[in-house]
Amino acid sequence: MQVQVLSTRFDIPDANKIEVAKQHGAYATLDKVFAMQPEEIIELVKASGLRGRGGAGFPTGLKWSFLPKNIDKPVYLAVNSDESEPATFKDRYILVRDPHMLIEGIIICCYAIKSHAAYIYIRGEYTTQVKVLQAAIDEAYAAGYLGDTVAGHDYKLDVTVHRGAGAYVCGEETALLESIEGRKGQPRSKPPFPAVEGLYGCPTIINNVQSIGSLPFILTNGADAYKAYGTEKSPGTHLFGISGLVKKPGMYELPLGLPILEVIEKVAGGLRDGRTLKGVIPGGSSTPVLTPEEAQTVTLDYESMAAHKTMFGSGGIVVLDDTVDMVKLVENLIYFYHHESCGQCTPCREGLGWMLKIVKKIIRGEGTTADIDLLTELCDNIEMKTVCVLSAACTMSTRSYLNKFRHEFEAYVTGGAPAQAAM
Amino acid sequence: MADKVKLFVNGQEVEVEAGKNLIDAIGAIGIEIPHLCYHPALGADGNCRMCLVGIEDGRPPLVPACKTRVAEGMKVQLDAEKIKKIQRDIMELELINHPIDCPICDQAGECKLQDYYMRYDGKPSRMTVKPVLKAKHMDFGCGVVHDQERCVLCARCVRFTRMITKTGELGIVNRTDYARVNIFPGRPLNNRYALNVVDLCPVGAMTSRDFRFKQRAWFLTNSPSICHGCSKGCNIFIDHNREKYKDDVIYRFRPRLNEKVNGYFICDQGRMTYKLENDNRLTTPRVGDRDAGFDEAVESVRRAVSQAQKTVVLVSPNASLEQMFAVQQFATAINAPLSGYSDGYIKQGDGDDFLIRDDKSANRASFALLGIDATKAGFAAAVGGADLLLSFDNDLSRSLSEAELGQLLATVKLVMVTSSQTECVAKAAVAVPVASYSEDSGSIVNGEGRLQRYEVAVVKNQPACDLLRIVHLLGGEVTNNQEARVGLQAAVAVLKNIDLEQVPAEGIALTESEVAHVAA
Repeated sequence: MQVQVLSTRFDIPDANKIEVAKQHGAYATLDKVFAMQPEEIIELVKASGLRGRGGAGFPTGLKWSFLPKNIDKPVYLAVNSDESEPATFKDRYILVRDPHMLIEGIIICCYAIKSHAAYIYIRGEYTTQVKVLQAAIDEAYAAGYLGDTVAGHDYKLDVTVHRGAGAYVCGEETALLESIEGRKGQPRSKPPFPAVEGLYGCPTIINNVQSIGSLPFILTNGADAYKAYGTEKSPGTHLFGISGLVKKPGMYELPLGLPILEVIEKVAGGLRDGRTLKGVIPGGSSTPVLTPEEAQTVTLDYESMAAHKTMFGSGGIVVLDDTVDMVKLVENLIYFYHHESCGQCTPCREGLGWMLKIVKKIIRGEGTTADIDLLTELCDNIEMKTVCVLSAACTMSTRSYLNKFRHEFEAYVTGGAPAQAAM
Repeated sequence: MADKVKLFVNGQEVEVEAGKNLIDAIGAIGIEIPHLCYHPALGADGNCRMCLVGIEDGRPPLVPACKTRVAEGMKVQLDAEKIKKIQRDIMELELINHPIDCPICDQAGECKLQDYYMRYDGKPSRMTVKPVLKAKHMDFGCGVVHDQERCVLCARCVRFTRMITKTGELGIVNRTDYARVNIFPGRPLNNRYALNVVDLCPVGAMTSRDFRFKQRAWFLTNSPSICHGCSKGCNIFIDHNREKYKDDVIYRFRPRLNEKVNGYFICDQGRMTYKLENDNRLTTPRVGDRDAGFDEAVESVRRAVSQAQKTVVLVSPNASLEQMFAVQQFATAINAPLSGYSDGYIKQGDGDDFLIRDDKSANRASFALLGIDATKAGFAAAVGGADLLLSFDNDLSRSLSEAELGQLLATVKLVMVTSSQTECVAKAAVAVPVASYSEDSGSIVNGEGRLQRYEVAVVKNQPACDLLRIVHLLGGEVTNNQEARVGLQAAVAVLKNIDLEQVPAEGIALTESEVAHVAA
């Protein structure tokens, strides 16, 4: 099942070094890129069907085409490597194992959107990653792939690494821009959208590391080669991070469209012996949980996830077996989103803290049925009333546990903890 | 006229001013959209989410009204159950960690949170877990006291120090429900407009150390007036109250919107001049070194004037246009030179590029209108050979050194008609109390040539006589403001076409264009 499109150089020793990476094809596509017009590249990426790998799945080429035409301001690229969604661990592989694929992708993207400055916003906790990435950028400058004449062409490009300080919310694209500008990482109200008014008030494209990392393959092999993988509406491959209670958790590159249970069974080694499946989080902690019944028919693509009222998300699959206490899972979940709320707007700032306290009260055995109902209602009251979707990430997922595993909450309310042991 | 657009609010077609956001545009025709963080002087921030409204057929269907500009044909939903529920829900969330200490909170009665709860929520609390505890009564400097628990984190105060004073002393630290407004350690508020954050704060999180715990907001009468703290002429509310068995006392000044003068703000210095209206007032007339009745004091002044070889009349740069005119008429009638000498009222270099002016008097511009000399040389020439100096509320001790004043008073007898106990009063042969501007009405012209009107705000239990009346009792012709205004219109060319009885709320700029416009 596994394929190698993005991960071709992942297993090659020292592929983060430019000589090794070049021996295995890095930067080989640039001559072809610079022979093309920027608009042609955008059309090619549109044709490939590449969708944003940060979680929302917005078509990458279409996003680029939202940039205003004939503008006198500089255009910026911000590469989002704030990878902070719990259960997501894909971009870090690119950063460490094949940073030159990312840099090559950045060159392609910037040329296409006519940008001469790219920022890589990397989460503060990624200390090894930032060292490896910066070393690779330095190598790329020394080798002439970045700087005044990129790969010997009359094209200037500077790439700057900007380290975050560890805030989840800075993965939200406008909070990310605020953070790069040196302010507190709080999302901006939209509109205006970043493609019109982004970094330093200039048009800005924000793409995920994996989206950018997919570009060298698409440019080298063409849109059809990329579309050969995956489904019609969700083409290509994805780096899936499979974690939770499986025998072989890890990062696996797979084409989109595979049945989720088959992937768990065949790729991740299946559940531990004697255990039964209780649920699957399909794409990072914020995506609504799937019951085993729902998981039967889910395939790993955007459309199937939407049809099952959940989201493809970041490809961080978490497998939950019968030992998992869903109420405590929800506590953990809300704890995270509450802790990471930027505190800017009222519903998220005040609401998530209240939700956390209610769950804790239920776990202490002091809750009532009214508390479960209140929790459900608060999800509705908070969701989509906020500046950004951080609170929705919490409420959408929390609501799914409340709806699908309400009996576990009720067990706490009516008579102490349920039978399951904690994870 | 501003451009108009037609749109629909709750299905009703309305016409509003174009180019504004929904809160201002629809607010101007009397339809309220609740909001905490938006302030017209500070722009839209969009953090409180209280102003979320529905836009029918819109994308997105739910928008913050503060960030949404009115557009032709827009269909705004305010009364939909969906919107009412959002307002209730936001209020509930604002209140879960709020101490709800309205009985001991100074803001009660003028609190947005309280008003909105009554108007948009009204539901009992569902909060059964412990609220977040934060710091209380923090000294932020400049007389500002902060209560973090009452704060709704609208960031108006933060934006004020960043956008208006550009001093940036305040910030919001921490995240989530631990977010709070704070100063940097050891770096308190340090600007001359800091107390505006108390007015800006929609709740009781920012209070004034000076005003705290003195009065409940609902007992205060809010009388419009003009600050006399400097020549800017900022529009204010005089908040005053007569407690049972006590006198009418001013508790605070607050800024009153006038886009043409001060916008939404006033300076702290001017704000504190309310104390001059309350304290250290001359209440009892004095003749020689003993208290006297009012009639007796006036009579002794009349006698002094009639007996004097040469009387010099001194008028204050704080006097109203009408008062100055009456004094000028009187001085002419008794053939006495008139001076407005008051250099001491000017604090050179104290002004700034916002609201504070060097000239700490309110109506110096009227000297020029009436041709009243205010130079030191003019004053020196006038007092040469004089034996009586009749001062109408002009405190000479501000303009002359003690030695100079002593030298002058060695040969000249001083009569003070004054509202407050200045240094000069002790040196005067006769002192007659007079109403101050908060107890009187009149017109003043600010340093930028804008004519403004103030009316009587405070009525004392024992009202001091107003200046026009005293001048009349001394023999002046003018008896009241109306007469003075008729006279002014005949005497002063630039006032000829102005209806001085009907000064608009924003005042009138005494320039060709605006005077012509008003006349037309």
